[in-house]
Amino acid sequence: MEILLEAFRSLGKDKLRTFLSMLGIVIGVIAVIVAIAIGAGTTANVTARISSLGSNVIIITPGFTGGFGGRAAVALTSVLQETDVQNIQQMAPDVADVTPILQKSFNVIYQATNTVVTVVGAYPDTFSILDLPLQSGRLLNQNDENSDANVAVIGNTIATTLFGNEDPVGQTVYVSTGSFQVPLTIVGELQQTGSKLTFNPDNMLIIPYTTAAAKLIQLNGGVSQIIASAKSAQTALNAVDEINNILYMRLQNTNQYRVISQNQILSTVSQTTDVLTLLLASIAAISMVVGGIGIMNIMLVSVTERTKEIGVKMAMGATRRRIMVEFLVESMFITIVAGAIGVGLSFLIAAIVTYLASGLGLTVIITWPSIVLSFGVSVAIGLFFGLYPAYLASKKSPVEALRYE
Amino acid sequence: MAALLELKNVKKIYDMGRDIQVEALKGVSFSIEEGSYTAIMGHSGSGKSTLLQIMGCLDRATSGDIIIKGTAVKDMNDFQLAKFRNKTIGFVFQSFNLIGNLTAIENVELPMIYAGVPRAERRKRAMELLKLVGLEEPEERAFHRPNQLSGGQQQRVAIARALANDPAVILADEPTGNLATNQWRRILDIFKRLNESGKTIIIVTHDPLVGQEATRIITLEDGAIIKDERIR
Ligand SMILES: Nc1ncnc2c1ncn2[C@@H]1O[C@H](COP(=O)(O)OP(=O)(O)OP(=O)(O)O)[C@@H](O)[C@H]1O
Ligand SMILES: [Mg+2]
Repeated sequence: MEILLEAFRSLGKDKLRTFLSMLGIVIGVIAVIVAIAIGAGTTANVTARISSLGSNVIIITPGFTGGFGGRAAVALTSVLQETDVQNIQQMAPDVADVTPILQKSFNVIYQATNTVVTVVGAYPDTFSILDLPLQSGRLLNQNDENSDANVAVIGNTIATTLFGNEDPVGQTVYVSTGSFQVPLTIVGELQQTGSKLTFNPDNMLIIPYTTAAAKLIQLNGGVSQIIASAKSAQTALNAVDEINNILYMRLQNTNQYRVISQNQILSTVSQTTDVLTLLLASIAAISMVVGGIGIMNIMLVSVTERTKEIGVKMAMGATRRRIMVEFLVESMFITIVAGAIGVGLSFLIAAIVTYLASGLGLTVIITWPSIVLSFGVSVAIGLFFGLYPAYLASKKSPVEALRYE
Repeated sequence: MAALLELKNVKKIYDMGRDIQVEALKGVSFSIEEGSYTAIMGHSGSGKSTLLQIMGCLDRATSGDIIIKGTAVKDMNDFQLAKFRNKTIGFVFQSFNLIGNLTAIENVELPMIYAGVPRAERRKRAMELLKLVGLEEPEERAFHRPNQLSGGQQQRVAIARALANDPAVILADEPTGNLATNQWRRILDIFKRLNESGKTIIIVTHDPLVGQEATRIITLEDGAIIKDERIR
């Protein structure tokens, strides 16, 4: 108790010096906590965005053919077949729905505007599996399929590109294959959805599957992608396994296809952000070590300055252990207070960062482990870097120390 | 009277490195009786302070034996020496050596903290000691820092501190060296009173007037005793 009080007194004597020696630790603690908070915020953001997909969606795409690294999603020489869709439907008990997709890029023309758009042939249930909400008009239905109708639902972004502020519903666009043009009447516009796994509906023109197969994307029974949904989020991983097995039975090569679920992507993303967070936090931790060296420096100066005092205390009967503890308490006092200030200020900094970056969609989430970690590390630094100066103080000879002026 | 402290052929050699050695004490033997008042005198550099430090267990002799209250100092480790100094020896220095961060009364409490005396008891005894050494307005001055006190007041606080754990012996190295005459007188009066009430006192000085206060004068020259006289 007296030791604490004495430490407080001697640190209070030179407030500027004490403050400066705390600064390194304070900054280090803030840096660590805020770095981890930004990491956690980013993970939460990305997770939320991916989760908007619905956790039971599964997408099957052709794999990357060895060494070429081509864009599998637009491969025309498809390895996936309509028979795969039927097999999955019949043989995968945990799959609720499964539907094929035809997909290819075309020039799409409206009046004077001409732009490249991904045209997708899809059955009506695709809209419910992927949860694509309508903004205006209507979705595609079975009648469109039955009649090979030249109709389309347009993604939000591409609608703006082609039509500006005009209402696209009821307008006709032309899809150019190079040799001929196919007119399509826009019957509906989708809301903005953002990316869904390998899919970005905002940039797509979605037409009936049969229309696509008959007039634009002939793959001879092949399909571009297959979209499935698991019966529940819990069985999603089982469903992925079942699909993998079914495809493997036919293709005998896991490189030829990829089965992607949201769970897998989530774990990949969180691994990536974890690594990034760790990197940021380690850089920040270096500043704490630098702060520790600063404290060691101050403590060494302090030990020298107070040599006479040490001598007097020893003459009065202070043991070496007592002298050592006195100095150790001082250095730990510095780092504990600095750690606490750092934790407090990091909330302030986090609030400021959140305020300034609110437009950028940056979220800052301060986590308990980061507080405990950085505070713990600063206490440990006080102990570690205070140990040597305290040891030197305790090893002084009483006579030499008393003679010191 | 019983010997409180006994020195047998004590030598102290300071090793200055590069084979240079200073022989500060060249085989000193004497004993100090309990309740005595001894002055150690001699010219500058004669080894007075060295002798006092060795008697006070602040430093170890190069050879020879020191026996205090029947205990051989040689056999004690650093921890035991610290505890021994704390309980048995009270130091008074020429330059007072109060701790600047602490108030007068806290300085007096310091040896009691090391001895583990409970807080309330410590306070009470420290205040009594400050009154004993005649600190003016003790209730107020006790809470002043050393730099707010005069030299004479500081030295009286230092004496109170030396008395804190009721030590067997007070060792004072030129306690009046830094003081004006009137203050100097008061300090010597305190020592005299303490000795009259039974405290053993050893005082180092080169001032004959101070030496006359004692009942015995040991004179050192060049690290050896050249005279040991009882004057009362
Ligand atoms: N730590 C030391 N290292 C080396 N030599 C020392 C040390 N302390 C004292 N000496 C030497 O030992 C001798 C005796 O010194 P000491 O301090 O005991 O003398 P003193 O009688 O107290 O002198 P003064 O009256 O000036 O205080 C001197 O020659 C001094 O230079
Ligand atoms: Mg001296």
